[in-house]
Amino acid sequence: MSTNLMIVAFERPAIDWHAVAPEIVLLSVGVLITLLDILFLEKARPYMAALSGLGILATAIPLLTLGIDGTERVLFDGAYVVDNFSLVLKAIFLLAGYVVILLSTNYIVDGDYWESEYYGLLLASLMGMIMMASSRDLISVFVALELLSIPAYLMVAWRKRDPKSNEAGLKYYLMGVFASAVMLYGMSLLFGVSGTTVLSEIADSIDAGNGSSSVMTLGIVFVVAGFAFKVSAVPFHTWAPDVYEGAPTPVTAFLSVASKAAGFVALLALIFVGFYELSNIWEPLIWILAALSMTVGNLVALRQTNIVRLMAYSGVAQTGFMIAPLAVAGHSLSTGDQALSAIVTYLAIYAAMNLGAFAVIITLARRTGSAEIDSFSGAFHFAPGLTVAMTIFLFSLAGIPPLGGWFAKFEVFRVLATSGETWGYLLAVVAAINSVIALFYYATIARKMWADDPSEKDLNNIEVTPSLVSALAICVLVTLLFGIFPQLVARFTEVSLLAFGV
Amino acid sequence: MIDLLAATTSSVTSIPLGITKEGNWFLQNAWLIPLIPALSFVGILFFGKRLPRGGSELGIAALLIVFLLSICTGFAWMDHRDNFHGEEISQTLISSEHGEHGEHGEHGEHGEHGEHGEPSLAVVNTATWFITGGVEFSVGTLVDGPAVMMLFVVTLVSLLVHIYSTDYVAGDRRFTHFFAFLSLFSSSMLLLVISENTLQLLVSWELVGLCSFALIGHWWEEKDNSNAALKAFLTNRVGDMGLLIGVTILFFASGEMIPDSFGSFSIVTTNALASSGLLSHSTLLIAACCLMAAVMSKSGQFFLHTWLPDAMAGPTPVSALIHAATMVVAGVFMIARLYGVFFEGFSIGGSSINLMALIGGFTTLVGACLAFVQRDIKKVLAYSTISQLGYMVMALGVGAWTAAMFHLFTHAFFKACLFLGSGSVAHSVHSFDMKSDMGGLRKVMPQTFRTFIIGSIALAGLPPFAGFWSKDEILAGTGGWGILGGTNGNGSYTFMLIMGMITAALTAAYMTRCVYLTFFGEFRGHGHPHESGPRITIPLWILAVLAIFAGFLNLPKGFQLVPKSLQERFGHYVEPVAGYFPEIAHATPSWSLAIVSTIVVIAGISLAWNYYFVKVEKASKESGKSLTELPDGLTTRLTLARMGHTLLVNKYYLDHLYTGIITRAVKEPIAELAYRSNQEILDRTVDTFGRTAVKIGQLNYEKIDQNLVDGFVNASGRISSDSGEELRKIQSGKVQSYAAILFAAATILAGLLIVIV
Amino acid sequence: MDNLLDSWGLTVATFSPLVGALVMFLIPKEKEYEHKIIALITSLWVAFVGLMLLIWFDLDATEKLQYVVDKSWIDAIHSRYVVGLDGISLPLLLLTVLIVPLCIVYSWNHFPDPKNPKTFLILILVLETGMIGTFVAQDMVLFFVFFEVVLLPMFFMIAVWGGPNRKYASLKFFLYTLFGSALMLVSFLSLFFLTGAESFVFSEIADNVVANAVSRTAQLWIFGGMFLGFGIKVPMFPFHTWLPDAHTEAPTVGSVILAAVLLKLGTYGFVRIAIPLLPDAAVEWAPWIGLLAVIGIIYGAFCCLAQTDMKRLIAFSSVAHMGFVMLGISTLTDFGINAAIMGMVAHGLITGMLFFLAGSMKERYHTLEIKRLGGLLVQAPKMGWVLGFCAMASLGLPGLAGFWGEFPAILSAYNPANGLPVEIFRTFMVIAALGTVLAAGYLLWLLQRSAFGTPKEEFAEDPNIHDATKTEWVAWAPLLALILAIGIYPNLVFRATDAAVDASLTPCLTIDVDELTHEEIESVHCSEVYGLGNHDSDHHTASKG
Repeated sequence: MSTNLMIVAFERPAIDWHAVAPEIVLLSVGVLITLLDILFLEKARPYMAALSGLGILATAIPLLTLGIDGTERVLFDGAYVVDNFSLVLKAIFLLAGYVVILLSTNYIVDGDYWESEYYGLLLASLMGMIMMASSRDLISVFVALELLSIPAYLMVAWRKRDPKSNEAGLKYYLMGVFASAVMLYGMSLLFGVSGTTVLSEIADSIDAGNGSSSVMTLGIVFVVAGFAFKVSAVPFHTWAPDVYEGAPTPVTAFLSVASKAAGFVALLALIFVGFYELSNIWEPLIWILAALSMTVGNLVALRQTNIVRLMAYSGVAQTGFMIAPLAVAGHSLSTGDQALSAIVTYLAIYAAMNLGAFAVIITLARRTGSAEIDSFSGAFHFAPGLTVAMTIFLFSLAGIPPLGGWFAKFEVFRVLATSGETWGYLLAVVAAINSVIALFYYATIARKMWADDPSEKDLNNIEVTPSLVSALAICVLVTLLFGIFPQLVARFTEVSLLAFGV
Repeated sequence: MIDLLAATTSSVTSIPLGITKEGNWFLQNAWLIPLIPALSFVGILFFGKRLPRGGSELGIAALLIVFLLSICTGFAWMDHRDNFHGEEISQTLISSEHGEHGEHGEHGEHGEHGEHGEPSLAVVNTATWFITGGVEFSVGTLVDGPAVMMLFVVTLVSLLVHIYSTDYVAGDRRFTHFFAFLSLFSSSMLLLVISENTLQLLVSWELVGLCSFALIGHWWEEKDNSNAALKAFLTNRVGDMGLLIGVTILFFASGEMIPDSFGSFSIVTTNALASSGLLSHSTLLIAACCLMAAVMSKSGQFFLHTWLPDAMAGPTPVSALIHAATMVVAGVFMIARLYGVFFEGFSIGGSSINLMALIGGFTTLVGACLAFVQRDIKKVLAYSTISQLGYMVMALGVGAWTAAMFHLFTHAFFKACLFLGSGSVAHSVHSFDMKSDMGGLRKVMPQTFRTFIIGSIALAGLPPFAGFWSKDEILAGTGGWGILGGTNGNGSYTFMLIMGMITAALTAAYMTRCVYLTFFGEFRGHGHPHESGPRITIPLWILAVLAIFAGFLNLPKGFQLVPKSLQERFGHYVEPVAGYFPEIAHATPSWSLAIVSTIVVIAGISLAWNYYFVKVEKASKESGKSLTELPDGLTTRLTLARMGHTLLVNKYYLDHLYTGIITRAVKEPIAELAYRSNQEILDRTVDTFGRTAVKIGQLNYEKIDQNLVDGFVNASGRISSDSGEELRKIQSGKVQSYAAILFAAATILAGLLIVIV
Repeated sequence: MDNLLDSWGLTVATFSPLVGALVMFLIPKEKEYEHKIIALITSLWVAFVGLMLLIWFDLDATEKLQYVVDKSWIDAIHSRYVVGLDGISLPLLLLTVLIVPLCIVYSWNHFPDPKNPKTFLILILVLETGMIGTFVAQDMVLFFVFFEVVLLPMFFMIAVWGGPNRKYASLKFFLYTLFGSALMLVSFLSLFFLTGAESFVFSEIADNVVANAVSRTAQLWIFGGMFLGFGIKVPMFPFHTWLPDAHTEAPTVGSVILAAVLLKLGTYGFVRIAIPLLPDAAVEWAPWIGLLAVIGIIYGAFCCLAQTDMKRLIAFSSVAHMGFVMLGISTLTDFGINAAIMGMVAHGLITGMLFFLAGSMKERYHTLEIKRLGGLLVQAPKMGWVLGFCAMASLGLPGLAGFWGEFPAILSAYNPANGLPVEIFRTFMVIAALGTVLAAGYLLWLLQRSAFGTPKEEFAEDPNIHDATKTEWVAWAPLLALILAIGIYPNLVFRATDAAVDASLTPCLTIDVDELTHEEIESVHCSEVYGLGNHDSDHHTASKG
């Protein structure tokens, strides 16, 4: 009887194994790496990078099958969803992760830091991101967030002999915790009002009329603030420069692309699935964040002499561009969809060009031994290839056609200008002016590299490791292709979340 | 625009243009005439240096051909004028009943032109040049009296000048280039005189200006020459502004009348519309004033005449051809061409004063006065040219169209003769300064002397030399004065008559002075002057002969000494009697006027004679050296005279005004101001934008972004002392301030939104 | 042949340079000769394609887009790859394909420091793609992309091969133009949204503007955005300050391309996009454009008079000349816009030529400071005459190309399109006419100081100063010939542009008629609805008889 009850009571939720296959593969690779490390210790080291790289590729296979299959899979009562949106983002994460591994290989070896752990953590963080892409529930969102953050804290401090790195790690950790705290508080408020953690149900309860309460507002603001920290939007960006500077550059690349993207995913899921109806609250909030991030990020970037710090601030500005579409996403469902695909497009292209830029920075910094911009001047004379590549990335970041960046920016402008809202046009103009300011420092770097005289003596060409070459090749290719045939990226990024919201 | 539309209310649906497409081969193919020199220009430019005579033979050959062509055209025209009874083309107009778009209307009636009998139908031949704005612009030839006359003058003088130059500029560093530009000039000038429309006129107008620029600056190594060239070109540009605008106004004004078109450059159409009073008077007045500016610059009318004397920096043949005989009369010719516009615009008929007549009259006086104080023989002639051009413009201003054309005709010959004569003199004494380097040349240069004398008398206007006839007709044309009266002219321009008279006296006087200083007294220069060669003297003689006899071509009506058939031949063939020409009255000349003017001239001569040939001669005898003026002349005795003299020597200070004040002001302060403002204001603002942006960034970065407030920094400093030594050493633990920003921002935003929403 | 051209001509013309650049990219930079050859062959090939396009172009239907290719490009944003050629684009396209090979020939033996022909030539080729693309693009987004593509190569040309102040100049050029084009993009997009068009293709947008009656205010704002974008590129006063620096610092070839083609992108934008798509706003803006244009004319001329550096003087003269072009455009009459296009071509040829000369003189004298020049006619007579020729052409001497850009522009200003204040435009006309005088002033003054007189002693014996070389003649002869040819027979250009401009203005008709009351429409002759031109019937001759 009771046993019966037990049996009745415990009902194992049906798990769609195909849906979670990617996660499982990735998880197993992570485990495998850890085991190998424990078993073979030093002997395994050289293979770790390759192994984790292969692992990521392996993870891509189920992703592909899912994509081909194309059906939308809802698990755990809507807490975990596998749809086009999540698949596309997972793909982006994996690609970014793969490139980061390529970047890391020599860097970690040269610095003879612990490798296997590094890759283990990297994969773990990646795991968190992949989960984030599918999470449609406050709890799973939070879990995914922590899973991707905590390894990152460690990786930031990886250059253990360098106090700066340690400091960065500590700083990042503390700030992260603060942010999580704020977010968690917000989530609890949301739960309090709506009585559920599943986003779609929160949406329903908002429809039911719980949206009006100021508690809800508070909750939303705090949650958004929390993720604003992750995506380093002004005024929650303060950690970025120090952490980027302190962290090992590959990790910086990872943070600036992957973890930022993860933050965006969550933000999008929350806003579109959760409280899309309350656009009157989050639209102005996002508007402010966007405008601030662009302007402050760019203006401050103007003054940077260290290229990593500069990239940090440019990243802040880019964040501003990325969230800008959200500021009008509530205008209409179609606008919402456009905004979503615009952001996803931007993420995809941004990943390629930013990683590429970091790839060049890593290589050049290894040659010049400094990340000061001046040390790059005249690079054209001893590293023409790299200079050309860097030029491509920089101007792509600035959004000059026909390099990928233009389409990303174009999408943003399109959403802002076609929403038909005065605020939209206003933000568009702000963005336009900012894109000019941004060009100022991007172009300055490019000009230094091309036009100035090299600061150092030996002008024999720099040697680039194969892994970096392949990383660069991937990034350049993607940047150019997306720029010339934007349809390539646009085809994938025409995703929608609003099916849930409404 | 609107008031012009109103003018269409008149019921006419088409007006006769007084032109035809048919005609003798020569009249049909006049376009060959400008073409041939153009080809020779190209030829000389590319092969001139390789030819035995440096390209001069090409030029001369070309000019010879076109000269013969022009002669044939002339005779063809005479025949056409008398015996042509073909179909006349008339222009369909916009009218109340939007009727037939027939190109060919009915034969035009011109009974009122009885005094010249049959209407003269100009021969027009056009081809499409280009189409823009949906309008076809044509290029073509308009062959009629004035055109044929100009063709003859230009080709003849140009031919003579070519021959003359082969000797004069022989061995010049840019011999070939000189002849190339002579050819180009002839070509453009000929194009100008047969222009069918104002656009074509404008083009050739500028082209002759270019040639003048190039030839004035022929010896551009010396700054003065290039300055003179620039001055000439720029002054003309100022006038051309007027031409551009005037042409534009006429273009649209006549376009208003023509169906399915918004503008027309056609000279005949414009004239016809203007003469038939279909265009509003105000428009015509404005257009005429604008065009007048162009005339003033091109034909050296006061106060845009200052470039012409400087233009004498060019080689003398050029001065003869361009700055005396042909190019400078382009302005006069343009008035004659668009006479319908000017006649109506300035309402010449029936009035007693108008702008054109005034400018002309004033110029003729101004020029004559200036001619007195020149040392440079060419300058004398230059100012005399200005004065004579003033005469012509005045004539047109008083409606004496034929007289003006006739004076243009005769003046071309004797002025060219004089210039070439002065050149011949200068050629042998290597200077143009009469006072220091000439004198007593009559003995050594008899040919030059004789021709020069003939030219001078013609210019002074003593009967029966050419100048007398044309000048007298102009004076008659002014409508006379009491018993002096050439009666029934277009108005009673008595004032102009007086001006003309005074000028006649002055002219006679300054030419006497010039002749004395050059040919009489003792030689004051150095070296041994000698007579010039045949290539110089023969042209001189040809011109001299013309200067004597050309006057008989237009013996006044009622001049009893000759049969009627010989009277006013020139007027008969040259003056158009057609739809595109206004109906002007013709004054009947009178013996009394002729006599009086002759007396005036003689008076002028004898005054100067008395001063130079008597007093100065005597003084030089006494002093033993050849003087050029009395030691105690008027200027030394009379203050007023001295002041006048200084005023003249300084050319009324006009050059100071133009070069010294206007040009410098533009070149230095104004331009500087513009440029400075560009650098300091416009450009600076741009830079400032950039710099401020950077500044803000820095401020933000240092003050806010990195440390929220000093308080935090200090506090954090204290707190962080607890946290590990390592950290503190590196950098004050900013974590706290960051955290503070994070929380603060979150709460502020939250609060904000709660309040708002 | 014909069919092949129809479907591929423009695409080949546009992207062949890129192919060439790609090939060169793969060849090591030591092989300088190969690079030159490849670059030259590529540009000649493109010129040949351009010639083919001209030969097969149907000059009796210039108002019709020809060689149209319409392929899907970015479905996601309804932007298509639509290229086509009509009478407005044709002359500018030909100008481009002509100038580029000449530039390559010119720089054959003397590349500016730091040499590196490979990169230099690659940049030129990329530039060519951008320029051609802009002229043939018929889709807003495509147009925008090409419009921006030209920025990068020019930026590097100035920044790397430029003069002493190159860093400042290059960045200024880049930022300035980008600022304009960013706002331009915004207005493109909002126009697209407001018209609710199905695609960014010009014709479609135009139809929808008329159909969905975009509100006047919106049009005004959008036009404003475009005005900034194009106006900065032109450049119009007061956005011109980037030009003198860019020109002064750029290498010779850079200045030539900049003057000959790049500046035209702006004016072309007005003619092709701003005015046909937003006739309503155009009528509102025209007086202001006209005002800025004439200010530019006078102001540029004054600045020229103040210059001490020959190259900078020529640069400022561009401001003045583009003023005439903009004046023609601002009249909104097909007459004026024909003049404007003629002005573009003429200015391209003449100023391009002047910059070639400036470059060659710089090589010989190692300075362009006018005070130190002089007596060029003595030391290099042929160059001196060419300089005189170009000066004359540039000051608008009839019989040379420049005149046909200036005079018709002045002419059209006398009688602007309906809805424009006639008195104001006539005032503009007078001021513009004054500009011609000043133009003569500064150009002849330059000629006098640099070519006339005798050489300064510092250069008197300089063996380095010789007359024009073979390569220079090869590069110059076509330009000189064209300046003369167009001057004598302007129909070479008008033949192509006339009907096309006429068609592009057709929207004006509807707009103006809407504004007029009924009886006004009765009274207004159809020929005057645009102020100029007759659009109901075949063209009648203006000068009868």
